[in-house]
This record gives sequence, C-alpha cells and structure tokens, in this order.
Amino acid sequence: MPDQPTDLIQGTLDMLVLKTLALEPMHGYGIALRIEQISDGAFRVNPGSLLPALSRMERAGHIKGEWRSTENNRRAKYYVLNAKGRKALESETRNWGRQIAAINRILEA
Amino acid sequence: MALLRSIRNGIQALRDNRARNREIEQELDSFLEESIQEKMRRGMSAEAALRAARVEMGSAETVRQKVWSAGWESTADAIWRDLTYTLRRLSRTPGLALVVLLSIALGIAANATVFSIVSKFLLRGVPVGNPATLITLYRTYDHGQCCNNLPYPVYQDLREQTKSFSGVSAYYELVPASITSHNDAQRVWGQATTENFFDVAQLPMTAGRGFLPNEYRSPVIVIGYRLWKQRFDGDPALIGKSVNVSGHSYTVVGVAPPGFRGLDQVLDPQFWVPLGVLQEITANSPHEESRTTQWLRIAARLKPGISQAQAQQELNVIAERLDQAHPETDKNTGFHIERAGALPARDKQTLVLFLVALAGVALLVLLIACANVANLLLAQGAQRQREMAVRLALGATRAQLLRHLLIESLVLALAGGVLGVLLSVWATYALSSFRLPVPVAIDLSVQIDWRVLLYSFALSLFAGFICGFLPAWTASRPVMPNALKGEEALARPGRRITLRNLLVVAQISLSLVLLCAAGLFLRSLEAAAKIDTGFRSRGIVMMAVDPQLHRYTPERSVQLLSVARQRIAALPGVLSASTTDGVPLSMGHRSDGFNVPGRPKPQGENVVELYMAGPDYFSTLGIPRVAGRDLGEENPTSTRVGVVNEEFVRRFFQGTNPVGHMVNGAGVPYQIVGVVKDTKSRTIGENQRPVLYRSINQTIASDPSQDGYTFMVRYEGDPSALITAMQHEIHAMDPSLAIFNVQTMQEHMRDALFLPRLVGTLFTVFGVSGLLLALIGLYSVMSYSVSQRTREIGVRMALGARAAQVQAMIVRGGMKLALVALLIGLPLALAAARLTTSLLYGIRPWDLATFTLIPTLLVAVSLFACWIPSRRASHVDPIATLRME
Repeated sequence: MPDQPTDLIQGTLDMLVLKTLALEPMHGYGIALRIEQISDGAFRVNPGSLLPALSRMERAGHIKGEWRSTENNRRAKYYVLNAKGRKALESETRNWGRQIAAINRILEA
Repeated sequence: MALLRSIRNGIQALRDNRARNREIEQELDSFLEESIQEKMRRGMSAEAALRAARVEMGSAETVRQKVWSAGWESTADAIWRDLTYTLRRLSRTPGLALVVLLSIALGIAANATVFSIVSKFLLRGVPVGNPATLITLYRTYDHGQCCNNLPYPVYQDLREQTKSFSGVSAYYELVPASITSHNDAQRVWGQATTENFFDVAQLPMTAGRGFLPNEYRSPVIVIGYRLWKQRFDGDPALIGKSVNVSGHSYTVVGVAPPGFRGLDQVLDPQFWVPLGVLQEITANSPHEESRTTQWLRIAARLKPGISQAQAQQELNVIAERLDQAHPETDKNTGFHIERAGALPARDKQTLVLFLVALAGVALLVLLIACANVANLLLAQGAQRQREMAVRLALGATRAQLLRHLLIESLVLALAGGVLGVLLSVWATYALSSFRLPVPVAIDLSVQIDWRVLLYSFALSLFAGFICGFLPAWTASRPVMPNALKGEEALARPGRRITLRNLLVVAQISLSLVLLCAAGLFLRSLEAAAKIDTGFRSRGIVMMAVDPQLHRYTPERSVQLLSVARQRIAALPGVLSASTTDGVPLSMGHRSDGFNVPGRPKPQGENVVELYMAGPDYFSTLGIPRVAGRDLGEENPTSTRVGVVNEEFVRRFFQGTNPVGHMVNGAGVPYQIVGVVKDTKSRTIGENQRPVLYRSINQTIASDPSQDGYTFMVRYEGDPSALITAMQHEIHAMDPSLAIFNVQTMQEHMRDALFLPRLVGTLFTVFGVSGLLLALIGLYSVMSYSVSQRTREIGVRMALGARAAQVQAMIVRGGMKLALVALLIGLPLALAAARLTTSLLYGIRPWDLATFTLIPTLLVAVSLFACWIPSRRASHVDPIATLRME
C-alpha cells in the first residue's frame, strides 16, 4: 500500500528536523506537519520519536528552544537552528548523499 | 564545551526535575493542541479531532518518559532511585547488612594493611628530583653474587671513567653523631656523602642548599626535616648558624625535604655531612685509600637518553678493566644497578616473596569474606524470589533486576571498604609499633596513603561485583510459576549440591588453612619465647653513651666508663653493673675470622662473634663460668685477654681446655683466660655460634664501637627510678654526654621476637577473621535451610518425629558440610605448613598439637553454628505450619 504513511528511515529523523528548522524556527507540531506535507504524506512523524529527538538535539547544542506565542496566540516551544546545528546538517546531508549513491550503485549492479 | 553544557543542563534537570517534567508536559500539551487545531481546520469536529490527535500521540506518559530519557540524567536518576531504594531495603534487614559489612570490612582491612606495606617498601619512591633516572649501584663478587658496598678508590674509578652518568656520588649509610640543641645532646644517625650527592639526587631542599664542590672536607651539615622540626623548632634562621656535632662546630647549610630519609627505604638518617669529615666525627671510620674496605653506596644520575641497560653495559666493561688493573682486589667483581629507593638489593628477593605471600593470604581472607557475602545474598535472594517474579511479571527486564541487585552488593561492598580502611588505619598503627632489635636507626612504620586508598576502592568494587553477581544472576532468574505461588523457585530440579553448600565448604576449608598457619606461628612464638638464650632476660636495664662522639680520647673513655660503672653499681637497688659494646640478639654484631696457631682448621665456619665486656659482665648477665676467670678491669697495654664460650672450644679446641692458649682474630692475638656457657648471639632461633668476649679496656683504642657503649645493670625494684638515677650519675660526670638506647632487657627480648610475633599476630588476625566469616556462613546456610524446611519439619513432627530427632537431622546436615570441608582443608593446610618451615622456631611444620587442636576447634564451633538454627527447628509447631497450607 504505497499511499499509507510509513515510518521514517532509521537515523534520518535528526537530519530532516534540522533541514526543516533551517527554513525557519518552528514548534514541535509544526515540524511534524511540515515533514508530512513536504513528503506528500509519505512520512509521518509521531511525537513519541520527535520530542525525544528535539530534546536530544537541544542537549547537543544543535538547536535552541524558546517559548513563544503561536499565530493562534498559544504558547509553544519554538526551536531555532544555530551555527552548530547548521554544520551538523551539512555533514549529515553529505553523508546521506554518499549512502544513497552507494545504495543506488548496489541496486543497479 | 558540548560535554560541559550537557553536564550543566543534566544537573539542572536533576536538581529541578519537577520543572523539567512540567516543561515536557507543557510541550506535549501544546503539541496536542496544535494537532487538534490543525485537524479542525481541515474540517473535523472538535470531538473527532481530539480523539484523532490522542490516537496519534499514543500514551502521553510514554512520550514524557522517552523525552526524559533522552539525556544522561535519566540514567543517573534511575540509579539514584535504585540507590535510595536499596538503602531503604537494607535498613529493613540491619542484621544482614551488618554481617555483610563486617565481612567485607575484615577482608578489605587485611588487604589494605598488607598493601600499605607493599606501598611503602615497593611502590613509594624517594622524594628526589626526576626519580626515574636516579640509580644506586652495588658491587657484585664471585661473578655476579649480589651485593656489597664499594671501596672509595673504586668509587673514584667509576666517577672518572663512566660516561653514562651526568653525576656519580657516594654515601656512607649510617654515621652516629651527637647533636646538641638547647644545651641537650642527642645521639642521632646520619649519612656522610660526597659533596655532589645533593646535586646528583636533585633534592628539592626545604631550606638552604646541599654541599658545594669545594666542601668535601668542610664542617658543614644538612639537617633532616624531622630533626629540624623537633630539635630546632623548624627555625628558618638556623641556616648559616653553627651547631655542635660530636663536639665540633658545624655550619648548617640546608634542610632536607620532608620524607627524605636517604636513598634506602628502611634506614632513617637525620643529617648529612660531607664524606671528608668522617674521620673527625667518628671514632672508627673506614680508610679512604683502602681498596678492600667495602663501605660506600653509589647514587648516580643517568644522562638523558641513556638507558639503564646501556649504563650496565658500560659498567661491565669498566669492571673488566678494573679486574685486570687490580687483580689482587677486584678479581671477578662487577656492578649491579638498582632503582634509587628500591629495597636493599641483597634482601630484596626475600622481602618481595614475603610480601607476595602475605598479599596472597590477605586475598584469601577477602575471598572467604566474598564467599560469605555471596552466600548471605543468595539466601536473601531466595527469600525475595516472589518479589523478583512479580517484578518480572510486571515487565521489568532481567537487566534492570540485575542492575538493581548489583547496586545493592556494590553499596554494601563500598561501605564495607570504608569500614575496612578505618580498621586498617588502626592495624597499620599497631604494625608500626613493631621494632627491630637493632641499635641503628630504622624506619619500618607504615601508613595508609593514596595508593592504599585507591587499591582498597578498586578491591571493594571488585568484591562487590564478584559477591553480587552470582546471587543477582540466580535471583533474577526465578522459576516463574513456582515463584509466584511463593514456593521454592531458585532450586532447579535434580540439583543436589547447591551453590550455597559449595561456598560454605570452600569457606570452611580455606579458613582451616589460615587457622592452622596461625596455630603453627603461635606455637612457634611460644617455643621461641621458651628458647634458652643462655643469659638473664629480665631484671636488667640498659643505657648507652658514646664518649667518642664527645671528643674523648680512648684513655679518657676507658676512665669514664669505668668510673661511671662503679658509681652506678653503688646506686641503691643495683645488684651488679657492667659495660659492653653491644647487646646480644641485635641481629648481628661484630665478628671476625679466627684461627688458632698450631691447631687444625675448625669444622665449619671460622667466624667468631666479638663482644666487649667490662668487669662483672658474666655475673650481671647470669652466664655461668665453666673454667678460668672472668674479665676484670684489664690493663689496656698488657696482653689482650679473652673469654670464649663452649661452642668456641668445641669448634677450635675440639673440646680440650683452652685456658692459657693464644688465638688469632683478624691478625689480633688474644690469650684465653676463661670459658663460659653458650648464649644466643644474633637471633633467638640460631644455632650456637662461637663467641669471644674481649676486654673493653683493651679494645676501645684499637677497635672502637660504632654503636657506643652500653651499661648493663642488674637491679631489684623499680626500673624507671633507676633509669633516672643512672642518667643523673652519668650527667654528674659530664652533663654534655648524649644518652641513648635506654631499655630493659625484657623490652629488648620482645623486640628480638620480632619475626615470630609479627607473623603470629598477622596470621591469628587473619585466621580468626576467616573462622568467624566461615561460621557466619555456615550459620546462615543452616538457618536458611531450616526456614525453607519449616513445612517439612512440621509434617515430620505431625507424623511423630520428636524434637530431638529433628534437631539431630538439622545438625547432621550442617556437620556433613563441615566434615567435607575438613577433609578438603586438612591436606591443603598440611601442604601450606611445609612452606612455613623457614619461619618456624623450635617446632616442626607438621606439628601434632596444631593439627589436632585446630580441626577439633573447628568442629566444635561448627557444631555450635549448626546448633542454634537446629533449636529453632525443634521448636516448630506442627499445627501452626500445617495450618498455613
């Protein structure tokens, strides 16, 4: 069933979150929604893995969380990408590219 | 940086863990809220949106947990919770906790104490600069036999010829001197060194400096830190002032750093003077020109980049060269390198072996303790199997249970370790009170240092793991159905020998080995104390002076000793008084090779022990005369006379009467005027040695003593009053004289029993701790088995078994274990006993008394350990137990 949303590929969540935050600061649900929308509903991120990942990356100093009000005038924790996170995103993207290329080569062989 | 931040945030989260949880909850709420809003925007009803969002999110609590576990602090928090839980649980079984704590404390204390000896003598270096490149040199003889000191000319050859060293210095190990401060003279030991010694050692001086290159013969002195603090009040202005050293004025140029006691680990010198002044301050200094007097030790500094092996190679070449240049003295000699601060090369191997053996025994005690603790925890684990099963059933993983149980044993082990270190603080204090019966300055004190603490900590962790892992492993694997019903769940079907029984057997047999060793050493101590030394061992006070440290000529010395002896002999309470140069049983004194002109060479060695004796020596010491006369106030200039013991007669005169004959000792002739009974000379356990007593009046001039001269006074009444009176008499003649080595013969005899007392004490402590531990083990196994078999016992009694029969059944079960342990332990103990042969006095290693008494004792106490739980078994009320069904 190709239309059914699937879980993320192992180990890509951090990269996708960083990429999403590279566009603009966002709160948790915003990130989940954005990933789901951009992937045309192929990936669904559930809070059970997203929130721990955010907490982990915040602890690692890749992103910074701050409480702001949303457009609906509610308070939510927005995450902002910082320089270290940008670097991490670059290196993870490079890695990912290498892995995809390698996998493709294997599949085409 | 990142690590720092992680730690900071983690600690913050831990400190305010409620705030952190609230934040996570708020974030979850906002997530949910946004999700609902979004769904409503897409057209869902509020109710449907709420439900869908909830479903998407899953259990909020799980998410919260997951977020919380993203940081390291959650693990720390979990461990902390385990820890507090453990402490709460342990406080509910204080008896068990106490026994475990004490067991481990005993084991750790034994190890910490032994390791503090190892640390002091093997691991701790000397406080010199760059100790890795500082070495000490010894001379070998007969193709590499170890080890002698060096003659001065050989030192000079080395200093001129070697290229491996940036500096070569020499020192004379121990020099006595009387140092005066505050008008009070004290005899202390120091060292004489070449002028470059302090530069070679790169010693970081506390104050002042070492010696200058031109001070080889200058009256300068470096004071040891302790002497500086104790006798000179740590006065920094002492530098540059002069002090009275054996009647000469010496300028203090420096103070050595604290803890510096020369480069040898056991000696305790407290001052340093240049080698060239030795003749001035001591009466009997070796000749610098002599190529045969071996008296100097060498300290040398390796050049950067030169290894010890390279230096050794160069030394071998030099040795070859010296062998050829001086064939009459340097034939077949060589050099041996030791790290500076190592134990004396000659005794190193023996000492290391002794320490390794001791460490092995201490580890054995710890193993027994661990077996004991493992056993107790096993029994306890069995009682908690229901709890374990419930927790497993509720979804706890086995790893969590294991962690939990291990934390428990680690907490116990570490607490036991702390207690053990405290115990060993006391033990090392007690050990430090053992003194060697020698007249020179020796430092054998041991303390707990950071190495010991580290070692104890590691050992506690290790003990915690090994005694915790097994019980934890079995306890975390209960047979589930049984356990939930509250039945025996750890016993696997078909297993008759349980782990617990094995551990108890091992414990008892190991402690049997230790106890037998303890028994042997105690018997040996008893035998040693009963050995007839041949002289009076009580009622004698000894006190030494050394007039030659106060610029007395030999003639004046003789006069002083003679008059002082007469004045002391006239004191009330004094029966007789004499003078000598050395107290017997001081582990070795003066000796020389002897021959008798016109007689065949003696059987065995020709080495004769030499003691100086004044009038009344034999009557004071209670040595019976066999033939001839005693020594009196002999004329210093007439023919030298000597009194010999019976062993001397046996060895040199084949038992014929020697009185009137001349004998020759190292070129000095003596006329024998009397024969006395044998006495022990160096140690209590030795075979009789030949002894020649020479007149003190005739010997002081030609062969003065380094140890001073001792008044030996036989008295009645209170020795302390007598000691004061004697000091008064001596100071009445010369108030500047330093008085030293004041002790009673009884005290000296106790020191002389140093070795048997030391090993006896150590093994008794080890053995008794081992026994206690084993008995606690046996007791706990038996009482556990009684509690497990309550129902069975109830049934038996209901069927007509009498209390006595039940009791016998339980005792039989326990004694079976004890007897098996005995059968295993006895051969082990007998084998171990053979290893102790060289340490025993007067008894054989397979001592009948020890090997019947100790097993009997063990059986008796095992019986007691089984009897207590068996009484409980016999009080089981059959009705009550059956009703529980």
